[in-house]
Amino acid sequence: MSNKNSESISAFLDSYETEGLSIDDLKQDHQQLDTFGRYHMIGDIMRGETGQYIMPDLANNIAVAIAAEPTVLAPQKAPSLAHRVKAKVVQFTKPAGQFAIAASAAGLMVLGVQQANVVEEESLVPSQVFQPMPFGGVADPVSYNFEKPSITQQKQDLIKRQQKLQAILLDHQKQIKLQASSSQPEQRQEQPEK
Amino acid sequence: MKSVFILIVSACMSMSVVAQQPQEGESPTKPSAQQPAPTDQQQVEPQPTAKQWLQRLSNSLRQLNFDTSFVVVRNNRAEPYRWLHGIEDGRELELISLLNGPRKEAVRVDNTVSYFESNQQPYSVTTDSISGPIPRAFTSDIEKVHQSYDLVEVGKSRILGRPAQLIRLVSKDKQRFGYWVWLDIESGLLLKAAIINGEGELLEQIQFTHLTISEHSNEMLKQLLEAELPKTHDNPLEVSQAQLNWRVNWLPNGFDMLESNQHFVETINLPVDFLLFNDGLVDVSVYVSATDEAPRKSSINQTGATVLLSQIREGYEINVVGKVPAQTANAIADSITFN
Repeated sequence: MSNKNSESISAFLDSYETEGLSIDDLKQDHQQLDTFGRYHMIGDIMRGETGQYIMPDLANNIAVAIAAEPTVLAPQKAPSLAHRVKAKVVQFTKPAGQFAIAASAAGLMVLGVQQANVVEEESLVPSQVFQPMPFGGVADPVSYNFEKPSITQQKQDLIKRQQKLQAILLDHQKQIKLQASSSQPEQRQEQPEK
Repeated sequence: MKSVFILIVSACMSMSVVAQQPQEGESPTKPSAQQPAPTDQQQVEPQPTAKQWLQRLSNSLRQLNFDTSFVVVRNNRAEPYRWLHGIEDGRELELISLLNGPRKEAVRVDNTVSYFESNQQPYSVTTDSISGPIPRAFTSDIEKVHQSYDLVEVGKSRILGRPAQLIRLVSKDKQRFGYWVWLDIESGLLLKAAIINGEGELLEQIQFTHLTISEHSNEMLKQLLEAELPKTHDNPLEVSQAQLNWRVNWLPNGFDMLESNQHFVETINLPVDFLLFNDGLVDVSVYVSATDEAPRKSSINQTGATVLLSQIREGYEINVVGKVPAQTANAIADSITFN
């Protein structure tokens, strides 16, 4: 209903004819009068015809609001992207202790692989399909963390966990490599069939 | 050094020119769809079974001189590899190297496998197969695999421009992923492999992009005979056959323990109790370490087919890693009891 009213006031303002709404009706109703005034104000501001008269009030309000603001001495530093990136890259940037035959064997690679050397080989980027939990398994809604420092702490924990998972994954692969083959194929020489 | 590179590069280039010409008569022709069906009833050769196909794969991988490239695709990432194998002076030589990013390669001379990775000291292991993107099971005894997987011969298709036979390794229970392998009908070599979950979704695949089978082994491999290989890996901090104060009470059928030790996980220096299990095709690691963190339910991270499950309870962090479904990893983790 008030929407309808506002519409008619707006129309009235633009000098359109409106049924059952006259300047006298408006004077009767405070709310409508306010709306009427506000619309005029909006129009004035849009047309840049406000002049100086609203400024002192506005400036005062702002001054009061500023005075009422609590003083922030040290704003919490947001965890920078660099943190995360560094954490991801750290284990791949170790200097390469290398070996001669591998070097020769890798001759063609050396030519082709001068660019971007910092490719993680087994990233733990979760696949779209399999992600029952957020990465670190931290499922608390953010709103629980009303203390700002704890959010930073959580991020760091998350990075730590990610590093840990990476390390475990690499260790898993290494442990497999270290296995002397247990299942020696005994009938290797035997032809499968003929 | 420079001249070595040039030599290798020119060798590679000439090889790629020759490439893609499968050499006729290299291996005895297989009974296959290529041949018209014999009219004479007596000459009908039995179709090889799936098991025979896999045995043939194993033989071919050990006996042929081949030079091949393949790409491992998981998530949205593709890793290209080159893989060479040959016999020279009666010695078996093999090389697998990752072509993108930091260097990572493995070479094998008979029963010595050496690993070279950019972030650690090279080391050697006494074993007859390289552990890498190609499952070890393909070069070893298929009997073990057969205990946990049904081997099914599916059909023929065209892979890498060659006629191929598709063989499925179907898990006998729901506790592991299925493997599909496409084998070259002519040579028996691997042309493609895929890991499929229970819902039939593709998790990871290996697609070969080039294959040359030749009479003689590759020049690059011959150099391995003169190379000095790194020392056998020796971890002084590792306590093998340690007495652990916990045990895994459940594993899918067919998994045997390969390793039990206590060691430090590199880069984070975390002391862990470690068990490694294998079902002939898949490896599963279990890590247990003491922690003061609060108990946490299982969380799963998955890349390709590799699942990493992590949970904390009773003051221990449990991590289970391997190419098994998340449910299996979770059941293994949940079955652990502490003394």
